[in-house]
Order: sequence, then structure tokens, then C-alpha cells
Amino acid sequence: MTSGVLSLWTRRDSLRILVKRDLAVKYQQSVLGYLWSLIEPLAMGGIYYFVFGVLYSRDTNRHLGEAAGSYPLFLITGIFAWMWTNAAISEAAKALTSQARLITTLNVPREIFPVGRVAARFAEYVAGLPVLAAIALAYALGGKISPGWSLLVLPLAITLQAMLLIGLSLLLSALNVLMRDIERFIRLLTRLLFYATPIIYPYSLVRESSAPGWLKFAYELNPLVGIFQLHHSIWYPDEFPDTRLLLITVLGSVGALLLGWWVFRRLEPAVLKEL
Amino acid sequence: MPEAIISAERLGIRFVRNRRRQLRLREMFIHRGGRTVRPTQFWPLRDLSFEVFPGDTVGVIGRNGTGKSTLLRLIAKVLIPDEGRIRVRADVAPLLELSAGFSNDLTGRENLHLVGALHGLGTRQLRRDFDEIVAFAGEQVERAIDTPVRHYSSGMKVRLGFAIISRLPHPILLMDEVTAVGDAEFRAKCYTTIDRLLAEGRTLVLVSHNENDLTRFCKRGLFLDAGRLRVDGTVQEALDAYQAVPR
Repeated sequence: MTSGVLSLWTRRDSLRILVKRDLAVKYQQSVLGYLWSLIEPLAMGGIYYFVFGVLYSRDTNRHLGEAAGSYPLFLITGIFAWMWTNAAISEAAKALTSQARLITTLNVPREIFPVGRVAARFAEYVAGLPVLAAIALAYALGGKISPGWSLLVLPLAITLQAMLLIGLSLLLSALNVLMRDIERFIRLLTRLLFYATPIIYPYSLVRESSAPGWLKFAYELNPLVGIFQLHHSIWYPDEFPDTRLLLITVLGSVGALLLGWWVFRRLEPAVLKEL
Repeated sequence: MPEAIISAERLGIRFVRNRRRQLRLREMFIHRGGRTVRPTQFWPLRDLSFEVFPGDTVGVIGRNGTGKSTLLRLIAKVLIPDEGRIRVRADVAPLLELSAGFSNDLTGRENLHLVGALHGLGTRQLRRDFDEIVAFAGEQVERAIDTPVRHYSSGMKVRLGFAIISRLPHPILLMDEVTAVGDAEFRAKCYTTIDRLLAEGRTLVLVSHNENDLTRFCKRGLFLDAGRLRVDGTVQEALDAYQAVPR
């Protein structure tokens, strides 16, 4: 693992170039370019606001707690982070297969292809942060939220999320070369994860629901639950996960990274033959 | 005696034929695997030991499917051996898939910078040599340098790729029938370039079926047959052995 990290670090230029190329290709053909990375999450936020903030406003507000007066901010915070998650996991499948000719010609640490995808989608997330900050500022000026030290949670949330996504991306990209079924499985996985994570609804809704205990426990095993609670706690400190949930999240993210790295290493010889 | 720049010790790699890429539900439930072909293992290369010294020019000769390209990929470290080991003590310029890494949606200019950088050329050098690289790729590419590579002919892509990769300062050159592409004029340019690079003392490993290319560029020859190294001698000895094998 250490040698892998080291070789990745010595080839960080290649990683930077791949990310640059990824973004250049993505925004080359579209007139609105970078705005698309904002329009999509904002539109999604609008839809969910209509359903849960307008149609079901009574139920939603009852569980939102401190976020009751600023549900759009709650939504956008979650959806921006979700866009990164969703894109990174969805693209993991093709991270190696779409670059097959380059990978079978150029000797670079193969990890940079999946890691590069996660990094490129992270760049888009960062590009959206000013918008998030602007919305938060509007609510802060209106007195609905009072951001302070809790803002420091953001780097923790991003670090854990990056570890989890890199782990998943390494795992899924290598597996997909050997078993093309993975691609379809991923589509199901992302849809499942979206609803199995407190993105558009507050976590307390699950905790206070009448679902059986084992189901709630299974729900909490998803490391994204804690990560998104951290994201929400940037503005709403009450959402900060308790020790148990935080522990599950940290172990889950670190575990995913180690597992992904290990599987990738093990499968690398076979993957190179298949490409 | 100088240290070997490439050394292979009992090198071997195993491939699996007929491996199923997809778990098909139909096969799982209806045929229960009874109809599928069993995956079989085979060794495209096995028990290869040889050394290449700086400045050597090695031609790899053999019939189709005897592991020549696989050997190049092992030297380029884009395949990992299952047996033995291979040591490569210098950087490798892979003139293998010349248009690999090009993104169809980006222009020739953008691709030149990105692919050049991926291969390890510095930004400054790329900027300085830009005009020369494009001029080398030919007039057609020069005119289309700001249009997306999607509109390039395959010949144009290969020429641009060759122009970039032949700029690499790396001591080892790997080629897989590169001179087979492009028109006569471009081929002549390639020959001149390769001659110049070899005169600088680069090491060449060339896979080819073209006897003229082999005798022109290579002094040493490796003859591979059925994944084994049969002859390691002069290029003429290897060619003779190749022609002596009944077909």
C-alpha cells in the first residue's frame, strides 16, 4: 500500500493531466460549460423542494429541527455532495475500460485512472461551493442559521467521502473489467444509496420511524449516512453524528479505501490481460 | 561490460482463453453452464531469458500469435508476468499504439499537450517544440491542428502520435510495425527519425514481419516460436531460423 501511494505521488503530474483532460472533454462540447455542473443539482433541489418542502411541508418541517426554516439550504448541501458521490461511483465502471488503449501502452500506476475520476468530480463539487456559500449567506443574513466553528466539519466530511469514493472506485473499476455485469449493478446501487442516505430527508426521520431495530442498524452501516450528517452539520450543528455513527463512518470509509486498494492490486495482472 | 538495460529471467505469462466476461442469467438457469466452453489456460510466453544492453538493436521475429507483442508489453510494464521477472533499468518510449490517449473531442493542439505530458514531456519543452512536432506530423495535421481529432483520418492521428512520442528522451524504444502506417513520404520520415535516434545510442526493440526493416535497423535477433525463445543471435540467424520452420 505504501509503495502504491508513493508511486501515485511521484506520478501526480499524470493524475493532474488526466483530471484536466477529463474536465476539458466534458465541457468542450457544451455552450453552458461549467454552469451545467450547477444547473443539474439546483434543478434536482428544486424538484425535491416542491415535493417535500411544499407538498409535504408539514411532515418535513416537523422532523427538520433547526433546519425547519431553511430546507432549501439543507437540500442543496446534501445534493451537491451527492452529485460528487453519484458521478464518482457511476463513472468508476468505465474508468479503466474507456482508457484501455492508453493503459495498455503507457506505464503509469493504473490507480490514477479511477482516482482521477473521483478527483475530477471533486473539482466540480468545489466549483459549486461558492453557490452553496451564497445560499448559506442569504439564510445567515436572514437569521435562519448562524454558521461558526461548525464550518470546520466540512474538511472532515470531504476527507471521509474522498476515502470512501476512491475505495469504491478502485474496487468497481477493476471488477468491471473482469465482469461486465458490474456496470448494471452500479446503476441500481446508486439509486439505492440515494434513498438510503439522509440527503433530502433528515436523519431523525429514520431514527424516530417505526422501522424494526435491525433495519435501522443496517441503515447506519452505510458510511454515507455519517458523511452526509457531517455535511449537514456544517450549518446545523445538531446534526453532527454521535460517537457510534461517527465511528462506523470512519471505519467504513477507511475500510473501503483499504479494501479497494487491496482488490485493485490483486486484480491488476488479470485486468491488464483483459484490457 | 556495461549493465543490461533490459533483463528477463525465465519470464512467463499466462492467458485464459474463453473466459466468461458476463454472468448471463440465461446460461445460469437454462443451460446450467453445460453448453459453455471451458476456459483453458495457455502461455503466450514462457521460460524466456535474455539480456539487452544499452545501444542494442533487437528485432523480434516470429509467426502471428507467438507472443511478440506480449513481449513488448511486458517490457513496457503494461503487463505483469506470472512467472520469472523482467527488469527494465531505463525509461521506455512506447511507439506501440501511436494514437492511444487521444480524446476525439479535443483538438490536435490540446491532445498534443495532454498526451505529450502524459508520456512525460515537460510543458516548456512541448511549447518550445510545438511547431516542429506539428511540422513533422505533416501538412494535413498542421492545417487541422485546431479542429477536434474526431475529424482526423487514422493516418493523421498516427502521424501526430509518432511525432509526439519520438520526441521522448527515453533510452529504450519499443516499436510494433510502426513503419507499416502512413504513406511513403511519411515512412521515409520515420526511417530518418529512427536512424537518428539509433545514432544517438538508443536501444531499440522492434517487432516486425518486414525483413527489410529488421535487417536495416537491427543487429540482434530474437526468434520466438510457440512462446519460447528459439534463437538469440544476429538478426540474420533469427531470420534464417524463422524461414526454416515449416509452415
